[in-house]
This record gives sequence, C-alpha cells and structure tokens, in this order.
Amino acid sequence: MRRLYGLLWLLLAFSLPAMAQPLVIYSGRSKALVEPLVKRFEAKTGVRVKVRYGKDAQLLAVLQEEGARSPADLFWANTSGALSEAARRDLLARLPDDLLQLPARFVPQDGRWVPVTVRFRVLAYNPERVDPGTLPRSVLDLPGVESLKGRIGWTPAYSSFQDFVTALRKLEGDPAARAWLEGMKALQPKAYASNTPMLLALASGEIDVALTNHYYVYRLQRGGAEGEYEGPEEEEEEEENEASPAVRDLPLDMYHFAPGDVGNLALVTGAGVLQRSKNRDLALAFLRYLLSSDAQEYTAESVYEYPVVSGVRTPDFMLPVREALELSPEPDFGRLEDLNGTLNLLRELDLL
Amino acid sequence: MKRAPFYLLLPGFVTLAAVGVPLAYLVLRALEADPQTLAGVVFRPRNFALLASTLQLTVGVLVVALLLALPLAWLTTRTDLPAGRLASLIGVLPLAVPGYVTAYALLSLGGPYGLGARVLGVPLPHLNGYLGALIALSLYTYPYFYMNLRSAFLRLDPALEEAARALGHPPLSVFRRVVLPQLVPAFTAGGLLVALHVFADFGVVSLMRYPTFSYAIYLQYSTAYDRVGAAWLALWLLTLTATLLFFEARVARDAAARTQKRPPPKLRLGRLRPLAQAYLVGLYTLSVGLPLSALLYWARAGFARIERADLLEALARSVLASAPAAVFALALALPLAYLGVRYARGAARTLERAAYLGYAVPPLVLALALVFFTLKAVPWLYQTLFVLVYAYTFHFLAEALSPLRAALSQVPAAVEEAARALGSRTPAVFVRILLPLLRPGLASGGILVFLSTLKELPLTLLLAPIGYDTLAINVWSYTQEAMFAEAAPYALTLLAGGAVFAGLLLGSEGGRR
Repeated sequence: MRRLYGLLWLLLAFSLPAMAQPLVIYSGRSKALVEPLVKRFEAKTGVRVKVRYGKDAQLLAVLQEEGARSPADLFWANTSGALSEAARRDLLARLPDDLLQLPARFVPQDGRWVPVTVRFRVLAYNPERVDPGTLPRSVLDLPGVESLKGRIGWTPAYSSFQDFVTALRKLEGDPAARAWLEGMKALQPKAYASNTPMLLALASGEIDVALTNHYYVYRLQRGGAEGEYEGPEEEEEEEENEASPAVRDLPLDMYHFAPGDVGNLALVTGAGVLQRSKNRDLALAFLRYLLSSDAQEYTAESVYEYPVVSGVRTPDFMLPVREALELSPEPDFGRLEDLNGTLNLLRELDLL
Repeated sequence: MKRAPFYLLLPGFVTLAAVGVPLAYLVLRALEADPQTLAGVVFRPRNFALLASTLQLTVGVLVVALLLALPLAWLTTRTDLPAGRLASLIGVLPLAVPGYVTAYALLSLGGPYGLGARVLGVPLPHLNGYLGALIALSLYTYPYFYMNLRSAFLRLDPALEEAARALGHPPLSVFRRVVLPQLVPAFTAGGLLVALHVFADFGVVSLMRYPTFSYAIYLQYSTAYDRVGAAWLALWLLTLTATLLFFEARVARDAAARTQKRPPPKLRLGRLRPLAQAYLVGLYTLSVGLPLSALLYWARAGFARIERADLLEALARSVLASAPAAVFALALALPLAYLGVRYARGAARTLERAAYLGYAVPPLVLALALVFFTLKAVPWLYQTLFVLVYAYTFHFLAEALSPLRAALSQVPAAVEEAARALGSRTPAVFVRILLPLLRPGLASGGILVFLSTLKELPLTLLLAPIGYDTLAINVWSYTQEAMFAEAAPYALTLLAGGAVFAGLLLGSEGGRR
C-alpha cells in the first residue's frame, strides 16, 4: 500500500511541471467568487486557467519570494492597497491604453492595474434594536453616540476597514483620524477578525451596529451568493434559501451616511498583469473578459458587488450604481496606498 | 550509556537540517529590521499582554482537554464497554474537523437566531472570548491526549496492578499510585502537542475574538506586507515554544518500562455502565456531533450545488498529499523516538527535540521559508507535490513522534537485549520484537499526522501546486464568503476521509484493542 502511494505521488510530482503552459492567476479573492468566472472564460476561449488562492498579502509575499521565477501571469486582488503595493514594488506591468479605458472610473494614475468591481462601506444595524433615525449623518459623529457604547462591531484587522482609515486620514487629516479612532475606542467596540462572523454576531444580538461592506449584508440577507443562480435548480431556489444558515429573516439592515460622507466610501477590487508574465496576451484577454458586461453582470448578480463598466444591469434589490456612487466621497485610489501609515496608527492605538 | 549508531543519528540530522531551513529564513528576515519596526512591532507592551493571554488559554485548554481525554481513554481500553474500536475512532475524529469549522458551529448555535433556537427551539448562549476559545480548542485538541493515553493504557502491565491490589490497596489508590505514574510519558507527550497546537492556532481564537500571540503574527502576515515584523513575532513565539520544550524535557521522565505478558483485564462496569455510556455520548455529541450536525444542516442545500466529481477530485488530492506525509513522518519518527528513549542524553536528545521545533514554527512562516528555499536551491522542485509533502512531514513529525515515544518508553530495553543475546540481529529484533510492540503507537502517530495534514491550510495554500485544490482549501474558500452550504459537502468529505483512514489504522493494531 505504501509503495503504491509512493509511486503515484512520484508520478504526479514529475508530471506536473511538464504540462503545457496555462494561464496562471494568483487570486486574493476566494475560490467561491473566482471559479465561476474562470470556468466561463475557459469555456469561451478554450484556454486552460490555473488559480492559486490565498490572501492578498500572502500572495504578495510569495510573489516577492518567487521573484523572476514566479509562474504567475495575473494578480487579482481584493484590495486596491495590495495592487498599489504590487505596482510600487514594480511587480505589475503597465497596461495598454484601450484596456485602461474600459472601466468607467477608478483607474489608477500609473495604469498598472484595472478595477474590476466596487464595494461600499456601510453601517449594518439590527432593526429590532436600533432606530435608524437615531444614527448620525456622518461616520465622524459615530463616536459621539454614547448610547451605542459596547454595541458596535468593527474589523480593525480587515483590509477594507484599513482602506477606510487610510481614506479618512487623506480626507480629514491624520489628527482627525486618530481622534476618531480614539473616540470609537472609548465606546468599547468589539473587534472581529472578519465581516461574516461580525454580522452573524450582529444577528445574534451580541452587537447592534457594525462597520462593514455592503455585500456582506446582502449576502447574509439573501443566503449566500445564490440569489440569482442560473440553471436547472431555479425552482428549488426558495427551498435552498430556507435551508441555508444565513436566511432572509435575519434582523439585519444597512444604513448609509449622508451623501459624500467617508463612511460610504467606495472601494475597488482589481487585477494587474505581472511584469514577468510569459503569457501576457492571455492575461490581457482575461482582464478584458473580467471587464466584459457578461462577467460584470454575473458578478453583480452572484456576489452583489457593483460593476465598474457602464451600462451593466444590477439586481433590483441593490441600490442602483449611480446612487451608490453619489453617496461616496470622490475617491482617489492613487492616494489610498499609504497602508503602512494606517497600520502604524492602528498599532499605536493597540487596535492591531 | 553507549553511543548511538550512525544510522540512528542520520534521521535526526536530516530533521535538524530540514527544520533549520525555516529558522535560517526567519533570522535572515529578522535581521533586515530597522529600529522603528523593532519598537513599534516587536517590543511593545501589547505583546506582553498577548503573551499572558496565550499562556492563560494554553493552561486552560491543557486542563480541560486532559479531563475530557483521561476518562475516555480509560473507558475505551480498560472496561467492558462494547464497541470499543468504534468509540476510539470517534474519539480521534475531532482532529479531522478544521478548528474554524468547530468555532463556526459553536458560533452559529447560540443567540436568538442561532441553530439552537431555530432547530431545537432553545436559544443557547452566544459563545465568545476566553470561554468560547477554551471550549472550541479543548473539544478538538483532546484527541492528542486521548491517542497518547490510549496507547499507554494498552501497554500497561496488569501484573503491577494486581500486585498492588494483593497488597491491599483499594482500586482508587491503585489507580493513583500505580497506573497514573506509568501514564506520565503520555501526559507530557500529549500535553506538549496540545500546548503547541494552542500556541499555533489562529482560526479559533480569531473567530472567538480572543487575541493571542499567533493571532498577532497571523495579522502581521495577512495585513501588513511586512515580513520583517512578522519574522520577529515568529521568533518570539519560537522562544516561547523552545522554553516549553526545555521544561518538558526536564520534567518528562520516561516511566519504568515493564514487560507486558498479557492483555490487561477488562473491568466490569456493572451498574456504572449507563454513566460511562452517558459520558461517551455526551463527549461525542459535543466534539463530533455538534460540528457534524451543523455541517449536515448546511449541506442539505449544498450537495445540489457541488459537482460530485469536484468533491472526489479534491478528496483524491488531499489523500495523495496526506498519506505519504503520514508514512514519511512515521518512518522518520521511529528512529528519532528510539534515539530519544534509548539514548536519552546529549546530542541524541537534542536531535529528537528538533522534531518538535519544526512543529512550533508557524505554518505560514514555514511555507514562505520553503518558497524562498526551493526557489534558491532546487527550483525544479518548486510547485510540485514533493514540497508540500516535505512541509507536511517536517511540520507534523512531532505528532508521529509523541505517541511512538510514549509506546517505546514502555518497552524495556531488556527485551531487545534478550533477543540479541539469543542471537537475533538488529534488523530482526526491530522487525520481530519492536514493531509488533509499537503497533498502537504507530497507528496513533499515523492517524494524528494524516488527520492534521488533511485539514491543514496555510502550508497547503502556499505550497500546493497551482490548481491543486484540496478539501481543506475548498472548505476555507467557501466559509470565507459565508457560503456554508457549499463548504459543508467538502467538510463532510474531509471528515469521512479522515474516518476511513483512522478506522483502517485502528484496525491494523491487530486483534487486541
């Protein structure tokens, strides 16, 4: 038995590198979000795609350790911070102009990556316990709401929250950002590792409001990324939703601050082609596919993130793109890259 | 004490070299630090608070896990409870459940909208913080104690107990004065694994919102693109582990070995039987039943959305990586354990300890070190299954070593000497005398390594060939996005795969259980 395993394993080990060169993607986005699009792309083009999944920072670390030997062609990240960092370390190649013109907005100055989807910061709340009328018009005033002491959830270690703090620092200045964080700290917020457990805690009554991203609320409200699935199971949809642990009757809703408030900040996910890619044409073709209305529409329908190209339909229950964009301050992703400053600030305040 | 022969030392040197690679990498990275990083990340008051909370949790988990495992091990080996092998099998299954799945199951149970309220109609408390982390970690680390204690119980010499009873000691006194002291190697071996596991865990503590040291390291890696600060934190953690190893080595006395002449008698439980059964059922309900029922509940919708072929492929990949790792780990652990037990001094001891150091290196660090090292030294191996199996083997070697060590320390050297005196050559002694005696230890070690690698995540994510998505990677990917229904079939397959393998190994222990 042991010998058999050994043989099989050796066979596999030696046959793997010998195969033909497929398109290799390093994805900071999880398989659940990436694989359906990859499969569609493969079906459309006949190109073989291999994906390595991980977290943005892990993959970035791996890319650096790999250096010139990296097999990666494309880096698809969850945060603009990781992409800016990759561009700053000269890992990403400048993209052709016609590709950069595809997204309607959010294209970085250096042209080394393109945005793929947009999400917005929101305040999730429990409508059974919080009257949205009592919530402040600006996230900056949240520390002043004494009644929320001990009832707030946040995710200081999570990239979207850190991007928000970076934006806060750029828009309001470092002292204001520090004061906001200290004010929030005084309200004794509960720190969660990521958004899903935080919203589950909100639904279970552990907290009553939570600083999060919009799609987490939709996803838990609608029972995972299943709402608009195409395919033969369509009739069973109702039953499927019922069976899912995340069900529609959770006491969970989202609150938007006043238009232009940094609490409604738009954040992008994006992708870029690596300098060392030996498959540049395929990588560009994949980027073009991600920005096609087919892929953009699919993402909106299955993951509830907003498209970056114009004229793409979004599901009815989602706030329309234009309105969501009007709520956010004018973001400048070239200026959102000072992640280290934010991390230092969070560390100084013992939040990280 | 005579000197260890070279062929025994060789595996030790291999291990030392293999563990040395990540350590060298860590030091290399740490040396890049500038004063500002040192002040802000490495030497700040919060780290001491984290240290304290890590130790508190470790002590708590050690106590609770031991209290769970000791009665279980005794009941399944020394009493007439039926279905003993099945009971043993379920006893190790918690190891196949990824910690974060247990944590999610506990989390989704409580609160007014939790599964408890929904399915049972009883709102259960929402667990978090120290208590939540303590419960979740104890429920899935107690098998480390259990597996060690179980093989120790199986190798106890009943003659000693009978002698004590004949001298007029009541049963409890016999247990305390004769049985417990013989279990000390199993206590320390299991405790070391549990403690190292708590040190390394970040999945459970992050979900339970209980900050510990390894969680801080994990955050460094997952948020900052700063490998220098993280390297320093990892060195901190290693210092902690090394201290633990040092003290364990001083405390651990190998119990006096005895020749076992016959299997121990099974105690008749009589009227206490229902109580014992209730204990088993209660423990299994919490440790296996709970995550399992949460998974089954989620999987109701999930199986329809997952293609069976994908599931099987992921299973094959997981097994193809984990099984060789278990075999290699055992093959290395055998000489190491022998070295540690029979030549328990100086260099031999140090070499054996190197295996534990490998266990103590945070997996994320080990993974990055191996990426770095393979690309520099053996680039043609990069992105092959070999590197993954290598990482699994040396990271989890300690899990194979510890039950083997405990088993070996109960085999008196006199047995081998007698065999040699009767003319057997060393290989024959090994095959005909030692191996059969070590069977329970080998089975335990193999099971531990296999189950741990099956659910392992950071190493798999970074070292598996691209596109080589194992069961664990799938479970993680879907839970990340709160898609529990899709994650559940993969997690269930993982459990089933683990159960089959563990069942086979338990069966291989031979007729005696």
